[in-house]
Amino acid sequence: MNGHELHPLVKQLLDGDITLADLPAELRAEGEAAVRLLAGVDRTDVSIPAVTWRVMAKLERRRRRFAPWLLAPALAIAAALVLWLAPRTPAPASLVTVRFVLVAPDARQVSLAGTFNQWDPQATPLVRAGATGVWTATLTLPAGQHQYAFVVDGARWVPDPGAPAIDDGFGRRNSVLTL
Amino acid sequence: MRSGSQATDGDIVRAVLAGDRERYAQLVERYRDRYARYATRMLGSVDAAEDAVQDAFVRAYDQLAQCKEPDKFVGWFFLILRNRCFAERRRNRSSASLEAANDVAAVDRADGGAETAEQRRALQRALLELTPDQREVFVLKHVEGLSYSEIAERLSTSVPSLKMRMHRAYDRLREQLRDHT
Amino acid sequence: MITLLALPLALLSMQQGTGIAQRLTGRVPPQIASLVEELGTAASARGLPIDPLIEKAIEGSAKGVAPERVASALRLVALQLDTAAAALRDGGLVSDTLAIAAGEFAITAGLSGSDITALARTGANAAALTVGLRVAGTLAALGVPPAEDIGLVSVGLRSGEPVSALLSLPANVQSAMARGATPAQAAAGLARAAAAQAAHGPPPGHGGGHPHPPAPPHP
Repeated sequence: MNGHELHPLVKQLLDGDITLADLPAELRAEGEAAVRLLAGVDRTDVSIPAVTWRVMAKLERRRRRFAPWLLAPALAIAAALVLWLAPRTPAPASLVTVRFVLVAPDARQVSLAGTFNQWDPQATPLVRAGATGVWTATLTLPAGQHQYAFVVDGARWVPDPGAPAIDDGFGRRNSVLTL
Repeated sequence: MRSGSQATDGDIVRAVLAGDRERYAQLVERYRDRYARYATRMLGSVDAAEDAVQDAFVRAYDQLAQCKEPDKFVGWFFLILRNRCFAERRRNRSSASLEAANDVAAVDRADGGAETAEQRRALQRALLELTPDQREVFVLKHVEGLSYSEIAERLSTSVPSLKMRMHRAYDRLREQLRDHT
Repeated sequence: MITLLALPLALLSMQQGTGIAQRLTGRVPPQIASLVEELGTAASARGLPIDPLIEKAIEGSAKGVAPERVASALRLVALQLDTAAAALRDGGLVSDTLAIAAGEFAITAGLSGSDITALARTGANAAALTVGLRVAGTLAALGVPPAEDIGLVSVGLRSGEPVSALLSLPANVQSAMARGATPAQAAAGLARAAAAQAAHGPPPGHGGGHPHPPAPPHP
């Protein structure tokens, strides 16, 4: 055993069996440092609604023995995978983790602009995953109504093909995200 | 919240087994999020969690006839998902960290703390360095908020052996976090 | 030291202005900013929300749209806010700015004032109705025709289900559409199922919701 182990009492502290006050004075500092270790625990709820149709589609596909699934018509080669939080207990300010995805193999850069970032095309770049042409970004947004679009190569505003769309009042369409 | 106004899990399982395939969607819808967070913290990214949960539901459908207690579908499903998470081939380290980073990248916008986001990334990276067993007990206790006895019941093991696993996890996490900051 | 402190405070009071001006500074050209001030002040006086105006102005400018076009879009938003507010009043809900904004969104998505009134007449409280209107607009944006749309959302609002159930309606409709249903069929099917559950009441045995899952089956 190496000498870097936490004291057993500190471990009980992390377990929640005792409090900082229960620790002898010489262990307080170690206890506080250990508690900071837990500060990075991410308890944000994650929701994956796309799974429902993906599972059913896969079962259906196997049943009919179809060729590989086409996620969208050839022109609109993108799929929206939206993850949102359905709070299990009501929270005062609900935050929702949402993942945005655009398939755009020929794009040099893709960003996300919407009501949540003042429609700034530079605020939220998407990250490309290797050579596949799949661009993603994950944001945590407040519950409510949001509109957005992707901005491709700094100039082309593209609504999310997998999401509901409405008229933006300027001759284009915005995608809708209702959390 | 109104309770009991929906079909029970057992009703749906029995209906699906009797040939009403479409109703499986109800079960998926009901539970797809239940372990999404667990899978995300176990695998390091929402992407991977989504794949794992999807695969687990497909497998559960295939093995539905073997679900001995249809009214306890969700506990049975959890074990299938758990196996799937444990079997996940480790992605190469750099892409796992990048995804964990991406998944929490915007949290600081809402939380107002770049430090918080960095702490989360660091802990998620460190968690991925643990064994799956160690990571799991940590996630079930500190993320999902279960007690040791609840975890023991769910995993069919003992509280002392869980504590041993957890205490090793604490030491390893501390090592990882210290070495990489 | 004292003068240094005084300066930022003076700047602060200069920047107060109206809330509208602050949010538009640097984001929209001056003539749009004044139009928003004008429309927003009038709207505010009538109990209408101003956020939809501010957001639309910022959006238009960010998209590089000509100011005249932004101006006409803004006037349309103002008009739709009025329509939504009137529709809600007809349905018995007065002066809830979030609900009005949600109604404006529903109108943009293609629903009418009478659709909004119909939802308000379900008697749902302002918070639930706000979510209901957002969901109704989202369903319309998916292609669900107004009758099936309002039908589905009304069932949800009347049954008193938690808002999370309403919020999952668009995804459920999309699921059904992925399996080949038209938007109308998808919505109608979901509405029938929900209405049937509401009518038949609780079956014997427990429901599906637990804070923690039950223990795994014993070997």
